[in-house]
Formats: sequence, C-alpha cells, structure tokens
Amino acid sequence: MLRFLVRRLLMTVLVVAVTSVVAFSLVHLSGDPAAAMAGEGASPADVESVRKTYGFDRPLPEQYVTWLKRVFEGDFGRSHYLRASVAQVLADHAPITITLGALAIAFAVLLSIPLGVLAALYPNTLVDRLAVGLAVGGQAVPSFLFALLLIYIFGVTLRVLPISGSGSWAHFVLPAIALGYYATPAIMRLTRSGMLDALQSDHVRTARAYGLPAWRVIIKHALRHAMIPVVSLIAVQLGFMLGGSIVIETVFALKGVGYLAWQSIQRSDIEVIQAILLLIAAAYALLTLAADVLNGAIDPRIRVG
Amino acid sequence: MMNKNIWAAMAFAAGAVCLAPQAAMAGKSNDTLTWATASEVDTIDLYYQNLREVVIMAHQMCDTLMHRDPRTGEYKPLLAESFKWVDDKTLEFKLRHGVKFHNGKELNAEDVAYTFNHARKPDSGVVTRLLVDWIENVEVVSPDTVRFKAKAPTPAAIEYLSGITPVYPKGHYDNAPSVPGAAGKMRRDYGAVVPMCTGPYKVKEFKPGSSVTLVKNTDYFKDSPKGQPSIGTLVYRTIPDTETQVAELVTGGLDWIWGVPPENAKQLASMENVTVKAAPTTRISFLSLDAAGRSGDTPMKKQQVREAIAYAIDRKAISHDLVGEGSEPLVSMCYPAQFGCSTDVKDYPYNPQKAKDLLKEAGFPDGFEIPLYAYRDRPYTEAVANYLRAVGIKTDLRFLQWKALRGPLQEGKVAMAHLSWGSQGVLDASASVSNYFEGSVDDYARDEEVKKWLDAADSTIDPNKRKELYGKALKKIADKAYFVPLFSYGRTYAFNKELDIPVTPDELAHFYLAKWK
Repeated sequence: MLRFLVRRLLMTVLVVAVTSVVAFSLVHLSGDPAAAMAGEGASPADVESVRKTYGFDRPLPEQYVTWLKRVFEGDFGRSHYLRASVAQVLADHAPITITLGALAIAFAVLLSIPLGVLAALYPNTLVDRLAVGLAVGGQAVPSFLFALLLIYIFGVTLRVLPISGSGSWAHFVLPAIALGYYATPAIMRLTRSGMLDALQSDHVRTARAYGLPAWRVIIKHALRHAMIPVVSLIAVQLGFMLGGSIVIETVFALKGVGYLAWQSIQRSDIEVIQAILLLIAAAYALLTLAADVLNGAIDPRIRVG
Repeated sequence: MMNKNIWAAMAFAAGAVCLAPQAAMAGKSNDTLTWATASEVDTIDLYYQNLREVVIMAHQMCDTLMHRDPRTGEYKPLLAESFKWVDDKTLEFKLRHGVKFHNGKELNAEDVAYTFNHARKPDSGVVTRLLVDWIENVEVVSPDTVRFKAKAPTPAAIEYLSGITPVYPKGHYDNAPSVPGAAGKMRRDYGAVVPMCTGPYKVKEFKPGSSVTLVKNTDYFKDSPKGQPSIGTLVYRTIPDTETQVAELVTGGLDWIWGVPPENAKQLASMENVTVKAAPTTRISFLSLDAAGRSGDTPMKKQQVREAIAYAIDRKAISHDLVGEGSEPLVSMCYPAQFGCSTDVKDYPYNPQKAKDLLKEAGFPDGFEIPLYAYRDRPYTEAVANYLRAVGIKTDLRFLQWKALRGPLQEGKVAMAHLSWGSQGVLDASASVSNYFEGSVDDYARDEEVKKWLDAADSTIDPNKRKELYGKALKKIADKAYFVPLFSYGRTYAFNKELDIPVTPDELAHFYLAKWK
C-alpha cells in the first residue's frame, strides 16, 4: 500500500509541475501582458514602464524561476489588478467555489445514483427510459442555457430564489443545480451499468437465494460493488466542478475561482492565473489520488495492479 | 415518533429560511439606487483606473476644478470660482470658499497643487497620461489661487480639468502601501488609497472586485453647479452576465444597467416597470488603412483602393441595424460632439458599383486578398468583411485580443485593421483625430501637412483658429480616404421606471441628478 501511495503521489507532483510550466508559457504566448495591463489608450512609453515595473522585460525562464522560488517560500505573489496578495485573493474566492462544487456534486450524486439504480432494476422499461432521459438531459442542454432557464423559472417567474450574488445559502441553490446537473449523466449511466452487472453476479444471486430482503441485496451487495468505478468518476467530476464552473459562476455573478481565472486571463494577471492553475491542477490530482486510494481500500486487487 | 417529527420540522424550517426570497436591496422604498455592470472594479481612484464605471463613481464622489454640464455641454467653474489664461501657457484658478472634503477639512490651493503635482510626475503611475501630461507644474499663488503652468499652449486644458481629474487633500497618497515590484524592489501602490473627495456622495464601503457603496453627502456645498444629491444610497455591484442583469432589473434587484444589447432592448421596453433609453457615446469605429506603406507594398497605398473600401461599406446599415440605437454613421475621423470635429468633409455614400470601378481603375479588376485585423465586437467586423467581399476584396479575418494586436499594429505591420477609439471620454478633437494623424505609432498616413495642421490646432488657444485647422486636417484625411470612419457607438440604458435620471451623451450616469418619482 505504501509503495502504491508513493508512486501515485509522485505522479501527482509531476502532473502539477507540467501544468504550471505549460500555463506559464501559454499566458505569455497569448499576447503582451504589459500591453494588456496598460490598456487601450496607453502610449508605447506607458507600456514600457509597465513592462519594467512588473519585470516582464526579463527572459521568460528567469521570470518563471523567480516565481517558482517565491511559491516554495509560500509567497504566491500579488494580483496587480486587484491590488492584494494572491493568497488573499484566493482566500476570498475559494470558499465560494468550494461551496458551489460540494453542493453541485451532492446534488448530482443524490439525483443520479437513485436514478441509476432505478434504471438498472427495471432495464429497458419506461422507468429506465425516463431515468436515462432525465439524466442525459443534463448533458444535452448547454449549462448556460439551463442556468438561464432556472433563473427565468425560479427567479423571474416564481420569484422564490435569488438570481445573483452569494449573500446567503439560498444564493447557491440555483447555481448548484445548474452545475450539478451537468455531472449527472455520466454518474447515472455508470451506476446503471455497474448495477446491471452486479445484479447478475454470483454473489448477488447467492444473497438473494439466502432470502435476504430485496433492499439489502440491492444496497449492500449490488450497489457497493457497482460503486467502485463510480467513486473515481465522482472524484473526477468534483475536480471538474471546482475547475470548470466558469460559466455558472459568471451567469450567477458568484465571485468564485473559475470566474476569477477567466477575468485574470483577460487582464493578464499572471500571478493569479498561475496560482489558480496550480491549485486546480493540485485539486484534480489529489482528488484522483483520493479516488485511487479509496478504490484501493474497497477493492484490494487495485492496490496490486 | 416524536423524534422524527422534530427532524421533519427542523428540515422544513431550514428549507424555508433558505428559500425565503431576500429582501430586495434596491428601490425607492429604501432610498437605495443599485446599479450593476460587468466590470470588476479594483480601485475607485480615477487616476489609477479609467474604466467608465470608475469615471461614473468619480462624478458622484469627487469634484473637479471645472464641470461640464452633461445636459447642455456648457463648462462651469466647480471647485473654482473663476479662471483666466494669464498667458498662452499659464492658467489661473480662483478657488471657491467653504468647500469641505468628506473628512471635514476645507479645500485650499495647496490641495489642488498637491493633487496635480503628484499626478503629473512620470512615475506616479497615473493611467490616463493625456489628462496630466500637459502640466509642467502647479503653483500656489495664495490660499485661494492656483496657477497651472503648461508645457505648451494647451487649449483642451479646461476639458481635461472637467469631471475627470478629481482634487484630493494634500498628503492624500502619503499612506499608500508599498508592494513588491519587479526584481525585488518595492513600489508604491497609490491606487490602493480610497479617494477622499468633496463631491455629492461619500464612500461608505468599497469591496474591490465586488461592490461599492456611496451615501449622500449632506454637507455638500450649496451653490454647486452639480446641484444637491437626492437619493440616499448608491450601490454598485459587478454582475458579469447581461441576461442576469436583466433578470435582476425586471425583478427589482437592480435599478440601473447599461449596455443592453439591441435584441433585449425592445423586450425590456415593453416591461411596465422598466424605462429603456439609448444615447450616443464618444467611442468611434473605423478602418485603419496603411496608406503610408509602413507594412510594405500593399494595395492600401493606392488612393482608389482606399476610396473603393469607403464606398463598399454600408455604414448606415451597420450603424442602425446592427449596432443599434444611439449609434450614428460617421463621415469624419472624430466624434461629432468633440470640439473641432468638422463633419463638412467628403462623404462616401454606399455604392458597391463605384467601389468595383475604382478597384478596376487601381489595377485590381478581380479584387485582392488581404488580412483584416480586429479586436473588438466581432459581428461588426464580420459585417465589414462581408461588404468588402461583395466588391471583390477577400479579407482574412484575424481577430485578436488587444494585447496581442497592439504590438504588430504599433510596429507598423498591419495593412488593414478594424479599430475603435473612445477618446478617453475627452470632448475635444485633439483626443481623437490627433491621436492617429500626428505621427504617433498609430499613424498609418504619415501626412506631413495633416500633422502640421493638427500640431498647430492642438496648441492654439484661439477657438476659431483651432476649428479652422482641425477642419483642414479632417478634410484632407477624408479626401485622401486615409482611414474609413464607420460609426459611433451607442449605449442603451435600462432603469427602474420610478427613477428620474437624465440620459446624457457622455456615456456616464449622473446619479447626483437622479430622484425618485
């Protein structure tokens, strides 16, 4: 188990490091950051002075190494646009994204797993079709459109939920549904196919033959078995919810990390972009690691392989 | 059993708390005007952020030496009582008595001199250099008299000192934080200081990137040409998505938004609680053509080709049908409301046949191919490209972000670009036409005669002489079809029907003039 952990951990570090180098180069390739910061009305002299002030005149590798050194000292730098340390900026934005991501994945799990189980219990019936249809709708409808539909129904017509901002728990209901719905089809279908396999397996048949109650067979014997791949998927989807909520955060005016990333790219706020990418890559990698470990715990065969 | 019921009741209560609609923050009932745009505001100091939103806030919080009445366009002394040009390069202001900053300190000449002597310094980091670069020095003559020494005669000085250059108390930036700059050196972050002003509203709370709350200044000086503020609280919020802004406006969560797209404007106008109005802005859209051949030997060097391009594009159709209300087609390379912007120049009405004939004359009977660079409002650029294709000019559209386009454009590598320019809100032709034809990096005509006229116009105090010089330059620019002016941008404003606010052609909101009906 220890070797397995160490190997996975090393992979995680490698993924994060590569992401950071690629991101750093991409930001610089996408245009002159000094020009972006100086703005449209700036004279060449203004742009030059910005370049000097922020050190963009030095060679790229040198800029990268300087940045990396400071990160190892725990200093993520400073957002030139928001006039605060990157750590402060992230501390302001991260709770919103984490809350949103957690609620969204909770919504997705609570919706898709029962649907998946239901579909597997009555395969190729109307129940199955309805369940699949409901879940696949999440993939078919673009998230911004679904979000606007939610705003129209619950915010404008019924007026029961707030439309924008993050002032209270109620503010997170619509965004969490909009974001979570997108993750349902994958989880639901994997649950369904896993359950179908599990229900036909020998040990479930044996459990049934023992005369155990149907719900116990389904939940304890079949579902537990079917959940192994689903757990990995949920972890990956959670990473996706944390890193990919730009559209939802924009539509609902939530000042989260995804929105911050998008804005920072437009402003060439390099140190913020770098920190976010590092953070998201790390979150992704750690979640995958957690899923591997969890699966290793559920199924000892994985640890060996 | 009892246990279960308690849980159910608690769950229900929690749900009810979550689902209860929030008390609306906006509206007449609590005397709070809430407005939102898509921009994130990092600082509300106009010297360090020239976003239109910050210009709007500065007009509410701060006063300037002069004031341009947004409804009439007339210049009136604001913090000044009067002004006079002592000579071509010396502008003297007598200050108004009894004006107080929000911290209670009385305004005097030291404050004015401090503010501008800080801003004019090349290392002050002020973003809109145009507004302060003309200043050589500012001197205190007496506690209520201050003199601006200009580097050269600057007729636009009165415009620069109206509305967009707030006056702060002496020592305002003393406590600006030091932050790490390049190469381990520290630098001062002046923009991080919250402005201290004399205006009709004062800052109550500022959350960078999210919101700004201003409250009425009940001590505002009585005879201000801006009048007395009426609405108690102004709240600014950032809401990135237009659809969300519209939904908030319709449901009363917001009182004022702008930049409503034409497709939403009609629908919104039909709502009974919303007023929709459009107004022009100073932003102009045009094609930059490389007549001087900076980018090499391209067809743009031929006058007939440039004229053909001008005839090929239906500016009226783009302006009215695509850009929408508030937008106007342009004939001249400036915004018509700017001082000196003559529109008495050669017009190129839409005539695709004439364009084809001119191309044939120029030696391109089958047209030609050329890259077209652009960075803003892709649909407008695509419309231009379609009109050009119709006469045989096949454009290869290269749509970039400004930060990527700026380099090649200013290094003289771009034969044809669809650009826009807002004149930084300055209502003087020196801020528009001179920007592109005075030999700067953006000048693709390099016409010595035009440059000479513009140089003279920018530094002559006599208004009539200036008008004549700008007129000559603009006429030649149009005759030679150096650039192709297309249209001015409009803005559509939508607001709470209970709000009484003038919609002005300066792309600003003057909330100090607003009242509840």
